[in-house]
Amino acid sequence: MSKQYQAIIVGAGPAGSSAALTMALAGLDVALIERGAFPGEKNMFGGILHRMTSIEELMPDFWTKAPLERHIAKKGTTFLTREASFNVQHETVNFDRAPYNGYTVFRPRFDRWLAEEAVKAGATLITRSTVDDLIYKNDRIAGVSILGRAGQIKAPVVIAADGVLSFTAQKAGLRRPKFNADQMAVGVKALIDMPREMIDDRFGLVRDQGFANEFVGATSGVRGGGFLYTNYDSLSIGLVFHLASLRVSGKTPYDMLNEFMEQPQVAKLVRGGRLMEYSAHVIPEGGYNMIPELAGNGILVAGDAAALCNATGVNLEGINLASHSGILAGKTVIEAHQRQDFSLKTLKRYKERLDLSWVMKDLKGFRNAPRMLHIDRIYNEYPELVCSMMEHIYRIDGTPKVSIPKLVLREVKEKVGLKNAISDALTAWRAL
Amino acid sequence: MNIDEIFDFTSFTIDREPHIVLDTTVCAGCDNRGCTNSCPARCYTWSEEEQKMTFVHDGCLECGTCYVVCHKSAFTRWRYPRGGYGVAYRMT
Ligand SMILES: Cc1cc2nc3c(=O)[nH]c(=O)nc-3n(C[C@H](O)[C@H](O)[C@H](O)COP(=O)(O)OP(=O)(O)OC[C@H]3O[C@@H](n4cnc5c(N)ncnc54)[C@H](O)[C@@H]3O)c2cc1C
Ligand code: SF4
Ligand code: SF4
Repeated sequence: MSKQYQAIIVGAGPAGSSAALTMALAGLDVALIERGAFPGEKNMFGGILHRMTSIEELMPDFWTKAPLERHIAKKGTTFLTREASFNVQHETVNFDRAPYNGYTVFRPRFDRWLAEEAVKAGATLITRSTVDDLIYKNDRIAGVSILGRAGQIKAPVVIAADGVLSFTAQKAGLRRPKFNADQMAVGVKALIDMPREMIDDRFGLVRDQGFANEFVGATSGVRGGGFLYTNYDSLSIGLVFHLASLRVSGKTPYDMLNEFMEQPQVAKLVRGGRLMEYSAHVIPEGGYNMIPELAGNGILVAGDAAALCNATGVNLEGINLASHSGILAGKTVIEAHQRQDFSLKTLKRYKERLDLSWVMKDLKGFRNAPRMLHIDRIYNEYPELVCSMMEHIYRIDGTPKVSIPKLVLREVKEKVGLKNAISDALTAWRAL
Repeated sequence: MNIDEIFDFTSFTIDREPHIVLDTTVCAGCDNRGCTNSCPARCYTWSEEEQKMTFVHDGCLECGTCYVVCHKSAFTRWRYPRGGYGVAYRMT
């Protein structure tokens, strides 16, 4: 096996397929290489596909063709303790009409579909193939080798879209050989089977409406958060943990996930459901400060491989950034072919393009968000504070009431400390 | 959810050839063994009695946690399985 292509894309996730689609539409002969039996087989995420404006340009009927679940019409945040919960919800008719603000999707379906769109445009999809190494000819990248297989797949340029650990970028010397556990998180998720009508009734949904809820205080004091999203006839429920915090906690992700699902108020939400699948994956949460070299001679890095994930604490955006960066990488390769120059001199245009796009602007704008998410008090003391304050406010039991400002002050002093509260508020303000 | 029953709810095509190989002598001298509690599939078990680390790759979700969490670079190999092998999600 040894075939020559005009470009190789490693990984058929959203970044890789978007790059392949872009180049195939421009007439390039590209190979999209995926280690799974089909694209998406290896991939999990929380579950919300945010607006994909860049792919809408390539494919105006994207939202009618893509295999989507419910559109997110309703968003919520819950502060959780072992006994109590305090909810904030937002719902607007503006999120209940096209263009919708986001959808739940399943990766094995969505990623497969997107890769097939690239194939329809002319890309060659090669599955069941784990890229092992880059191959060089005269000091220049000339293609890749496949693990456990003889032969090579050849091209003058490679796009590393192989996800968060990107061994391809590492082998090209573009990412540091060791990750900082402070900049990484892991998400675990249970997919819970549940009849559609039950979901509609339980979460107050009609038609194709969906609900997305984030949880603070769901991670037993470990830095992280929880999520619950509605699909047509299943729930995606899970937890995300910062690895530096998880590592020293002595707690396990599955025990904490069980505890979360058994919390009395959460238990009511998942009651009657049946576990269908359990999955886990690492997330590059370090933001702007952990972005590796994005280009080298004969190589570009896109998506999670380039740590282009925006975890602001409110939303987790990844697929939209992956797709946009893939498209920009694809455009840069098209240009490199026109010039017949695959050196960094031409390929560094990719970084310039990214810098000018919302991807880098957002990541730069939220570059301090990771610092806020490292305030340990968010994961224990603050949810306790909110829930206990609300309990005091709602409780009527024949004892004299404390005025609300006094109550807030007393609770803050007791649960967090005034100084801490002020410093945390400042950190959060700067971060957001 | 009982993690020991992971094969009942997540599918795998197990490769005999492990994709992760651990130098367990490094683990014997490790000061935190964060992998044992951090791995979402419980692939790492430390026996206090035998002072021995056991790693089983069969139920590995290929999530990447241990690769990041191990601060001792105890892996003689850490790569993804050969094409077509390993975890196989159906929905998620
Ligand atoms: C728990 C969790 C929740 C999340 N929630 C959201 C969310 O709600 N919304 C959102 O937008 N984002 C979310 N994300 C982030 C999002 O999943 C990622 O940002 C996105 O998948 C990145 O796309 P990618 O194409 O860069 O990488 P990936 O999706 O990881 O794709 C990489 C592909 O490369 C393949 N591959 C890897 N190595 C090789 C190799 N050597 N050879 C061949 N193929 C290879 C993999 O099999 C995979 O198909 C979440 C992530 C997690 C883990
Ligand atoms: S953290 Fe690394 S060295 Fe320590 S026990 Fe785990 S694998 Fe071994
Ligand atoms: S990759 Fe994830 S599931 Fe596999 S052994 Fe490492 S931590 Fe466990």
